Amino acid sequence: MTREPMTEHELEATLADVGDRLAYPRPAAMADAVRARLREPRSRRWWDAFVAPRFGLVPALATLVLLVVAIALSSTSIADRFLRLPGIDIFRAPSVSTTPGPSATPRFPGQRVTLEQARAQAPFLRVPTDARLGTPDEVYLDQTQSGTQRVTLVYLSRAGVPVSPNAGVSAIVVALRGRVDEALFGKVAGGGTRIEDVSVNGGRGFWLDGAPHQFFYRDETGNIVTETLRLAGNTLLWEQDGVTFRLEAQVTREDAIRMAASFR
Amino acid sequence: MEGRPTEDAVLVERSRHGDHDAYAELVTRYQAIAARTAYVITGTAADAEDVAQDAFVKAFYALDRFRAGAPFRPWLLRIVANEAINRRKAAGRRPTVGLSAALDRASGDTALSPEASALAHERRELVLEALRQMKEEDRLVIAYRYFFDLSEIEMADALGVARGTVKSRLSRAIGRLRAVMEGEGRDDA
Repeated sequence: MTREPMTEHELEATLADVGDRLAYPRPAAMADAVRARLREPRSRRWWDAFVAPRFGLVPALATLVLLVVAIALSSTSIADRFLRLPGIDIFRAPSVSTTPGPSATPRFPGQRVTLEQARAQAPFLRVPTDARLGTPDEVYLDQTQSGTQRVTLVYLSRAGVPVSPNAGVSAIVVALRGRVDEALFGKVAGGGTRIEDVSVNGGRGFWLDGAPHQFFYRDETGNIVTETLRLAGNTLLWEQDGVTFRLEAQVTREDAIRMAASFR
Repeated sequence: MEGRPTEDAVLVERSRHGDHDAYAELVTRYQAIAARTAYVITGTAADAEDVAQDAFVKAFYALDRFRAGAPFRPWLLRIVANEAINRRKAAGRRPTVGLSAALDRASGDTALSPEASALAHERRELVLEALRQMKEEDRLVIAYRYFFDLSEIEMADALGVARGTVKSRLSRAIGRLRAVMEGEGRDDA
């Protein structure tokens, strides 16, 4: 046997060597096996009833339970799922479930605040000064899963801007600190959605029209935030000084770009 | 972007929405390292494959608890390692595991002189025997670093410890490995 203790370098090299030579299993068809197991009915636990969307709960109780769970787990994706707008939790994938969420979920995520409160708590916020939109009717403030603040401005009904059948409002604006991750973005939008590169306020933006869809932001901490477009309408997305803005409204591309130019 | 493999985050997100094809892609991507990680703990290839498969199924149902944007691989490995450790405990943990290696494989040592080759072989046997006797947790830390070449950040996530403690864990594991090799008794004695 080796008498002298190995030097650090010798030990590390030997470990790497052993690691290369271990008689590891060589799984071949694990994906098929896992897929088959996922198709099997899963033994249900009592608490699954509370998170299974097809389980019919008394609406008032459901609202209470969901809100309590959502608040308790506000930093998790479960809360995020509950807070999505009903019916448009849509992801462009071949076998996606588009089961609507509980009917009592809030229409927009976060806490209802005044515009002044939103400005005070999210100093990065800019709002459109375009006369067609005017002052927002509702303002919501919430946090993404990693704690980045997000502001949603809601414009209920505006002359010349059709009301979206999906959300019952004319336009929304969402602002959060973060950037659009093009690599991810390009992967998830598509299909029924057209994406065009556009110039917004001298910077780069994207114009999306067509089917509703989800996409991702990468927030200021680098985490990926999933977002569902809420109006199923046309959307202008752009980034300005480290803040991502999104304007959803059934207007033309040129109109949207003009509205974006009015953000102050 | 064309031709590049789809990002894990996208596959995870699709999987969360019930897309089994997307999840199958993640399984294919990580089945090798999952099975290897399980093997380091269980020491038998058949158990390791079962563990990895169970871990993938559990991970699928746990995707709601996966933090969006976090790397998938270390999160998965944590589930694999837990599953493997539980499996060993349930089976009545034996003091040593049966890790084996193709120690006499011809490749690798061909450039060495016969003496150097013999020495390398001896060292590998010594290290492997010590690894067999160590606690799973120590073996895992060593494997993540030296077998699978995980970054410190990935190791922290996979082990579920603070990033600042990875180095000290590794160094303690190496210290215990040396102690076992130098005949100072079994690590967990």
